[in-house]
Amino acid sequence: MKQNLKSIQPVIIWEIARDEWRYWFRSKLAVVALLIGLACTVLTVVVSVGDAVELEHQRGHAQQQSEQTFVNQPDRHPHRMVHYGHYVFKTPPPLGMVDPGVDSHTGNAIFLEGHRQNSATFADQKQSSGTTILGALTPAFVLQVLAPLLLVIMGYGVVSRERETQTLSILAAQGLGYGNLILGKISALLLVAMLMLLPLAIAGVPVFLHGEPLLTLSMFLFSYLLYLSIWILIIVSVSLWAKSNSISFSTLAFTWLVLCILMPRVATNAAGVMVPAAGKLEKDFAVVAELRQLGDGHNAKDEAFAQLKTELLNKHNVNRVEDLPLNFRGLVALKSEAEMTDILNRYAEDRMREELQQSFFARQFGWLSPQVALRTLSMLTAGTSLETHHRFLRETENLRFTFVQKLNQAHTNKLNYIDDVNRNKSQEAGQIARISAKNWNVIEGFMFRPSPSKERALKAMTPLAQLLLWFGLFCIFLRNLQRHYS
Amino acid sequence: MIRHIMREWRFLLGQNNLVILLCLCCALSSFAIYSGHQEITAQHFTIERLQLAQQQDQEDILAKYKTPGSLAYYQFHLTYQTPSNLSFAALGERDLYPWKHRIRMLALEGQIYESDVANPELAYIGKFDFSFLISVLAPLFVILMLHDIVANERSNGRYELLVVTASGSIVLWGYKTLVRFLMLSLSMLVPFYVGAALNDVPLHDVFYVSILVLAYLAFWAVLTLWFGRHSIFAPRIAATLIGFWVAVTCVIPITGNVLIEKNIEVPKGSEILLLQRETVNQAWDIPAETSLTEFIKTHPEYEAYAEMSEGFHWKWYYAFQQLGDEAVAHLAFDYRNAIQTKFDLGNYIAMFSPPVLMQRQLSRMAQTDAISALRYEQSIRDFHQALRLYYYPYLFELHSFDESALAEMPQYQDFARL
Repeated sequence: MKQNLKSIQPVIIWEIARDEWRYWFRSKLAVVALLIGLACTVLTVVVSVGDAVELEHQRGHAQQQSEQTFVNQPDRHPHRMVHYGHYVFKTPPPLGMVDPGVDSHTGNAIFLEGHRQNSATFADQKQSSGTTILGALTPAFVLQVLAPLLLVIMGYGVVSRERETQTLSILAAQGLGYGNLILGKISALLLVAMLMLLPLAIAGVPVFLHGEPLLTLSMFLFSYLLYLSIWILIIVSVSLWAKSNSISFSTLAFTWLVLCILMPRVATNAAGVMVPAAGKLEKDFAVVAELRQLGDGHNAKDEAFAQLKTELLNKHNVNRVEDLPLNFRGLVALKSEAEMTDILNRYAEDRMREELQQSFFARQFGWLSPQVALRTLSMLTAGTSLETHHRFLRETENLRFTFVQKLNQAHTNKLNYIDDVNRNKSQEAGQIARISAKNWNVIEGFMFRPSPSKERALKAMTPLAQLLLWFGLFCIFLRNLQRHYS
Repeated sequence: MIRHIMREWRFLLGQNNLVILLCLCCALSSFAIYSGHQEITAQHFTIERLQLAQQQDQEDILAKYKTPGSLAYYQFHLTYQTPSNLSFAALGERDLYPWKHRIRMLALEGQIYESDVANPELAYIGKFDFSFLISVLAPLFVILMLHDIVANERSNGRYELLVVTASGSIVLWGYKTLVRFLMLSLSMLVPFYVGAALNDVPLHDVFYVSILVLAYLAFWAVLTLWFGRHSIFAPRIAATLIGFWVAVTCVIPITGNVLIEKNIEVPKGSEILLLQRETVNQAWDIPAETSLTEFIKTHPEYEAYAEMSEGFHWKWYYAFQQLGDEAVAHLAFDYRNAIQTKFDLGNYIAMFSPPVLMQRQLSRMAQTDAISALRYEQSIRDFHQALRLYYYPYLFELHSFDESALAEMPQYQDFARL
């Protein structure tokens, strides 16, 4: 092989690749497969990019409207606004156009209110016709699952065909070096892969224009090229090793089945069995039990707040709550919301940790299947992974806590305690126990942005290593297959 | 006949790659059944734990809150959908649609869309269960196993010899196909039978599933043989068949799904929630009488009790909660209707896609599909309605609320259905 490396001649490689293409053009199967493959990628890219742009627009609009409605609410008791709550929406990241990742399975709107952490609701997938058993119409699915099959159908015979028609020995006898032959065949298939990737690369333009940094964008495209290259290496190796076309095809089809269809799902099942996670509902019971210890924030007379009361009375040197310079009920709401949020966050973090553990376990199958590795890599760089969803949950929780506490602050400082206590005496009293709508200006414009590109790129290092390992292994493997060239 | 079968059976054992394929099928089926069984067992346990926790919670609540208004406010009720016996074989959409919920007397539309579902990343990748093995993978195994029966003999140059010497084409190809087909089917069905026994699946269901599976695999076998009857070149047959497989498992369902999605108008979920919230919160800003009058229109029996003497009364509170639900009832109905419509249209797609048809058949039998999820949601709605009807007489103070009243509170169990 060493001598062969020196004797690598680009002209010969080019000739071999061209010859392969000439063969494909004469074969009906290859032409049809290539056309279908291209049609699939172009179609998915066009549809997904169009949908994503529309979705971004829609969600942005809904977000603005939601903020407007909140600020425009009339004068009210501040606690009414705590329960009135606020809606936020998740805008998809630019690369989400080509790989929506988990976004179709997580809800994309979340309702923020006092005393509760709601989950994101209305996942798109729930409104699907339930026919997509293998995957959705996304460029990511087409390139991760269907493109390798296309390469298999086109490339299973690259060497085994020559062997079956006995042209392989002629080539060898004419002195064609192993390296030249293999590189020629690889180049021919690489061109197919590039053709498949072209629509994705073109989709890179709108993605870039929507603000995706070049670092992640190029890493994204590169990982797909690396992935398809791995498949090309697999195909050429098997085709070289197989005694006949039939064996080559069956082996490759079977390999595709195992790596692209089976492994990802086996990973899911294994993660589910090995890392069981309790659902939110089950945690809620534990949360509720803990919360009950805290005392009800609606009820300032709850014994849980007795200590707070004595401390305050002593501090301000008065005997009655009514004489405090602030609204004790507001203060209780403030304190209980803070304590409650601590507990809720602890459980939420617990739950997210469990989910991540499950996902990490499933992602380890990337060592066993390049498809799993690429899928993880793709979601992580695109910013449509589980981690991003968790960040969405954390950021919205932060927003929730901030505006609820600002309202409670207003409750403490701007509403008279006696008016507050008497608010239910009559409807007029209810009118008095209100504060000005000016205080509703507590929500800042929420915009969910993808995390910095560097951070995403760093996170994606493990799956990248998995892919590189696959690539390296098959390079070495292919080098050692020279004895089959005769 | 036995003699022919035994001969083909010995031939089969002689071919390493076929034996490996059969072992793999059996291993995959066992894995699918095992993890499906684990998952369903875990779901049963979860329900048991939830029931226990619910009981504890109930006791705490009942000890703390004595008036009907505050009890209804603080008491959550557990609802759940128990997995059916067969669901270990078709986990279906239980990772997408929630099968457990806690609800209380407040406006239902604000609660029912909360979803406690599994890890979204795992749900996105999808699970590997028996129904997936059969409907998606098994056709590929059939293709790999049967496509080269004729072509191999041709390319090995034995074809003419065999045709001349054998006593008939059935003896020649029939038994070989039969043995391979049966072995393949059994390798996947036997683990299913074990799972069925473990999960007490009724015999007629086991029988029906077997018939479905055999018919489905037979369809693919016939297709493979028909494609391969003349061709000499095995890979071309297989590639064409796999192309067909890709068309019916991916291209047709996905395209169909997109067509349905683009053509069926669905009310946005967030609109339901927003409108519901507006109605409920607005009630605090308008005179209480307005809400109560509105409520009396649908509940005239409380007209004499609708007077409000103070600024807050629970009857008013729950009345406007009900109004909140009523305001969005049409949207919520459309939302559910859209799911149903899309599911029904999906049936037409399934006509053109045998794998989707098979998958849907199995998850329908196992009651793990969208239809079952809708039924579960309906059972929650019925239960919530019953709670309202139970509480209103006490809230409007027609009767006094005491221990005996507590005993008559509706229980979800009476509403549960698959």
